Amino acid sequence: MHDEVNDKIPLFKSWKQWYLFVIGFLVVLIFLFYFFTKYFA
Amino acid sequence: MSLLDWIVMAIVMACIVSYGLYKSTTTKDLDGYFLSNRSMPWYMILLSIMGTQASAITFLSAPGQAYTDGMRFVQYYFGLPVAMVILCITFVPIFHRLKVYTAYEYLENRFDVKTRTLTSSLFLLQRGLSTGISVYAPSIILSSLLGWNIYWTNIFMGGLLIFYTVSGGARAVAYTQQLQFIIIFLGMFVTAYMVVHLLPDGIGFFDTLKVSGRLGKLNVITTGSTDNGFNWNDRYNIWSGLVGGFFLALSYFGTDQSQVGRYLTAKTLTESRIGLLMNGLVKVPMQFLILLVGALVFTFYQFNQPPIFFNETQVEKIKSSPYNDSLQVLQKQYTQLSEKKQALVREYIGDYKSGKDARESSAALQEVNSQTEALRTDFKKILDKEDVRGDSNDTNYIFLRFVVDHMPKGLVGLLIAIIFIASWGSIAAALNSLSSSTVVDIHKKFVNKECTAAEDYSLSKWYTFGWGVFSIIIAQFAGNMGSLIEAVNVLGSLFYGVILGIFLVAFYLKRVSGQAVFYSAVLVELIIILSFIWPWIMKQWPSLPGILPVAIDRFMLVMSSISFLWLNAIGAIGVVIFALVFQLFSKRQPASV
Repeated sequence: MHDEVNDKIPLFKSWKQWYLFVIGFLVVLIFLFYFFTKYFA
Repeated sequence: MSLLDWIVMAIVMACIVSYGLYKSTTTKDLDGYFLSNRSMPWYMILLSIMGTQASAITFLSAPGQAYTDGMRFVQYYFGLPVAMVILCITFVPIFHRLKVYTAYEYLENRFDVKTRTLTSSLFLLQRGLSTGISVYAPSIILSSLLGWNIYWTNIFMGGLLIFYTVSGGARAVAYTQQLQFIIIFLGMFVTAYMVVHLLPDGIGFFDTLKVSGRLGKLNVITTGSTDNGFNWNDRYNIWSGLVGGFFLALSYFGTDQSQVGRYLTAKTLTESRIGLLMNGLVKVPMQFLILLVGALVFTFYQFNQPPIFFNETQVEKIKSSPYNDSLQVLQKQYTQLSEKKQALVREYIGDYKSGKDARESSAALQEVNSQTEALRTDFKKILDKEDVRGDSNDTNYIFLRFVVDHMPKGLVGLLIAIIFIASWGSIAAALNSLSSSTVVDIHKKFVNKECTAAEDYSLSKWYTFGWGVFSIIIAQFAGNMGSLIEAVNVLGSLFYGVILGIFLVAFYLKRVSGQAVFYSAVLVELIIILSFIWPWIMKQWPSLPGILPVAIDRFMLVMSSISFLWLNAIGAIGVVIFALVFQLFSKRQPASV
């Protein structure tokens, strides 16, 4: 395996931004699911 | 199945095996066989970890789960994206830096040999048993379709799988999973389209959602609250999903070698991280779509007569029992109610489409739906009777029965093939990981430390073969476990929490020694297993509560009433707390990190 210290992070500037994006996406999904449940119930 | 279905199925399965074998050239040593020479890009990691998690059980049980219990099962995956983030921050960099073959190697560095061996043994026990269930899942399809003996079907199914897994190692596993996933998604989308297409003229996708939602199947978000407060025994709600699901996912992806072994094949740490984070992004929507197919199938059966029970073998069992007359009465009532329901569904759709007040037709529809459910329950009660002893859970048969009865020729073959290859993907990864842990954590540690590269390679193949045979043996006993997807998750929850607890102590509590974490893990595992079998113990020895101290009796009663997802959190937190307590009373200093 290569030494990845200097590996370029794709799409975002830092891993922190990646993590926030994944968590944010989950929060959005939960809200969408909530409205989906309410709408069709 | 028609001849065309058989041809489609044979071609798809042959393509998968051939492709896997064609792509399986690696160096003949442990690095090549178990880690594919650490050469995989992120998208291969993503497909491989998804293919490992999504077995045939996912595609058989999940739509059935949505049919019977609604879509709330998706909440079980809510903790997964958060777990992916924690893994990328803590677990993955350490595994990559140490260049380990198995996750458990790290525990010897951090603690001692006995903690490593205990953890890898818990993994081997849990994974070995659940792989057996995964072999059984596709076998029930063949046996119910062709009337084959289930025992021979298990052997046939597992035998085909062992063939390419033993030959190709991790590389064959990864490349077959890549192709498998593409075919699986294609098949599921075509099925969803076909369900809507098979509905009566004028009924569209939105209408199916309205009906399904009105009958309680689109309950994606539930809170688990009742009039008496939070229901801890409720299996799937947003809280058990976020908390229990988080611990389960962290343990599964961070400490289960069948998953760790997938992302250790990445060529860089970045590729591993991106693969895991992408999994965090796509897993929940993917599971939502699979469950939605189940909800659509449910709506399909509101316009068409469903069988009273989807496992035909069990219906035949009652027919040949003294309860045949009761069955005839139930079936007659069920047919009458289904016809009434079909008329009411049309009335309800007509009402809301024309802008009329649909409350009355909706209430009538819900009432009839409850009555049909009650008839199904009555049917299941007959199966549970002592002189019938049938399997009263048909969740795994719902989707399969729909496919065979209603899908067009050719597509049935494709979907049956999909169920097989999905199963192969996860079992192949499991066998590969079981073998890697046995060779690296047990054999090379205790049996023969001085193996040459060629001996390692040969040994790995033999252990893969051995675990394959073991899984087939377990599959022979997997018949009465209810919903298979739940059986696998329940089994995992008995061990995952403790394994995760050991790793959490290793990563975050640098002052705790191996001695403290070892005894803590043994104690918590015993408590969890005891609490799981507590109802059975009480049945065998009813006088036990009188002998035990009241506090212990009450504690075990509470523990045994908690839903399995919470066991992951309890196991992990329990190990951490007891390890801290034991460390306080221990004079030993922790080993160097």
